[in-house]
Amino acid sequence: MNLVLLLSPILIPTVGALVLMMLDAFQKEDGGLAMPTALLHFTAAAMALALWQRGVPSDTSALHGFLAIDKTSLFLDATIALGGGIASLLAGGYLAEHKLDRGEYYPLIAFSTAGAMLLVSASDMLMLFLGLETMSLGVYAMTGFRRGSPRSAEASLKYFLLGSFAAALMLFGSALLYAVTGHTDYAGIAEVLHAAPANAAADAAAAIQVVTRSRISILAMLLIVIAMAFKVGAVPFHMWTPDAYEGAPTSTMAYMSSVVKAAAFGAFARVMLAVYGDAASAGSAAGWPAMLAWVAVATMTVGNLVALTQTSVKRMLAYSSIAHAGYVLLGVIAAPREGTGTTAYASVLFYLLAYTVSNMGAVGALILAGRRGAESVSYDDLAGYARRHPAAGFAMTLFLLSLTGVPPTVGFFAKFYVIRATLDAGYTALALIAVVNSAVSAYYYLGVLVKMYMRDPAPGAALASPMRSGYVTVAILTAAVFVVWMGVMPERWLDLAREAVGAATAAAPSAATAGGNAAP
Amino acid sequence: MTLAGCLTLAAALFSLGVYGLLTRRQAVAVLVSVELMANAANLCFVAFSRFRGDVTGQALAVFALALTVAEVAVGLALVILLYRAHGDTRVDLASEMKQ
Repeated sequence: MNLVLLLSPILIPTVGALVLMMLDAFQKEDGGLAMPTALLHFTAAAMALALWQRGVPSDTSALHGFLAIDKTSLFLDATIALGGGIASLLAGGYLAEHKLDRGEYYPLIAFSTAGAMLLVSASDMLMLFLGLETMSLGVYAMTGFRRGSPRSAEASLKYFLLGSFAAALMLFGSALLYAVTGHTDYAGIAEVLHAAPANAAADAAAAIQVVTRSRISILAMLLIVIAMAFKVGAVPFHMWTPDAYEGAPTSTMAYMSSVVKAAAFGAFARVMLAVYGDAASAGSAAGWPAMLAWVAVATMTVGNLVALTQTSVKRMLAYSSIAHAGYVLLGVIAAPREGTGTTAYASVLFYLLAYTVSNMGAVGALILAGRRGAESVSYDDLAGYARRHPAAGFAMTLFLLSLTGVPPTVGFFAKFYVIRATLDAGYTALALIAVVNSAVSAYYYLGVLVKMYMRDPAPGAALASPMRSGYVTVAILTAAVFVVWMGVMPERWLDLAREAVGAATAAAPSAATAGGNAAP
Repeated sequence: MTLAGCLTLAAALFSLGVYGLLTRRQAVAVLVSVELMANAANLCFVAFSRFRGDVTGQALAVFALALTVAEVAVGLALVILLYRAHGDTRVDLASEMKQ
């Protein structure tokens, strides 16, 4: 019973997906599964919160060290489930409008969500790989969902090939870690890796072994970092991102750019912190924050600069999601620092939740603006949109302001906390680059607002008019509530994130000692 | 077969996979290359599992095999999708979205 309770946030979407498949199989006509799917996700989020409130059971031995169910994973579970719920609502509106409403989409979302939760709860390389693949397989299929479209086919194949390449790299990295440590669980690997320097001087053979071990563990780290960089769309591993996002159905794009990204970042931070630990104690593999700093700078800068030149709002949002990955990386880089690291890690979780709701909202507003047959919404399509449709225009405005980072929306505080954490960790140059990048990004976000409020459509051009869909409206309202709520009382939400990681970091040393015998 | 032999084979397979991924243009060939890489990792797991006398690695390899099979199933479906859309399965032909 304890086990079922612990796993309930993951079990709800898993079992729910099976039920959805049955519903779909016995249903006379397509459609109507969006609401059950959304409810399923919101139930999973509520279950994660309930487990948080009740206190995570301290006896997690039933999990045999494969999964770490703690407040960090519950926070991320709730983020993922919230994002997945909003995405299924968006799908309910989008797929129906574009005559794609086939029922298999909804079990795919639910399975991917279960995989994403498994990914962020993983504390073993096996579970990390299992979660990554379960999440990705569903998303590949959702990307290629528009069957007749060459673009959708191309996007999904590109995403699939690079995604499975990343998965293979990840698998090889874990094989190397298993080779040098004999463990596949994070705690066991970390124990062997970190114990190495202590008995190194004993004899020459042992010293050589230690050197080999640290070299191979660095190689393994590189493979894992590259695999994760592919998944989060960090430069220089971002090539697939704009094409895959643009070719995918827009509701899939919302899911990919928020939920998949949040899950990949959550797992990334966990595996790096648990296996390679903080910069001081990790021996020769200590270089990962410094290495990631370059990746972060490249990711922010390239994402923003290319976003400036886009004419399609959907593609602009794809590049903006690359830029945002760069900001999140800043927090990951600062997280291993002694003392200030906890707040940095908390700022990562805060950012992931903030980005999930802001981006979901922005993509939702974009979906709302696109009728059937007129989907790829360019800047020009939106000319005068907000004057003709004030409410829909206001929704778009709110989310774009949040993505830009204008107070009192949540986007401002997300950036503020991450940049403050970077400064606290002593990376002044990185923080400066982030601020400059953030200023640059205002140009292309506000460009949409200028078009919507101040420009008249070209004579004879097709006018963008909002589609009518209760699903999309509810999704946008849900996202808007979080954007405003988190923006008005950010400290309270940051405290929650701090509580989420506080427990995890406090438990980490004891897990490292106790985890050794938990290895199967 | 010695451990060194297994590892050399694994490294060779992995490198072959990366080479194929970078040079092949047929979607199916790229898919095969990716699978070579994944199986190199599996071989590594099994070899070290035997070397260490610990079954964890083999268990992981079995899971990884099942997952790669699922991956191939999805991958081939996507290749068919590409073939229906373009009438060809060369990945470099698919460039609708080039800027």
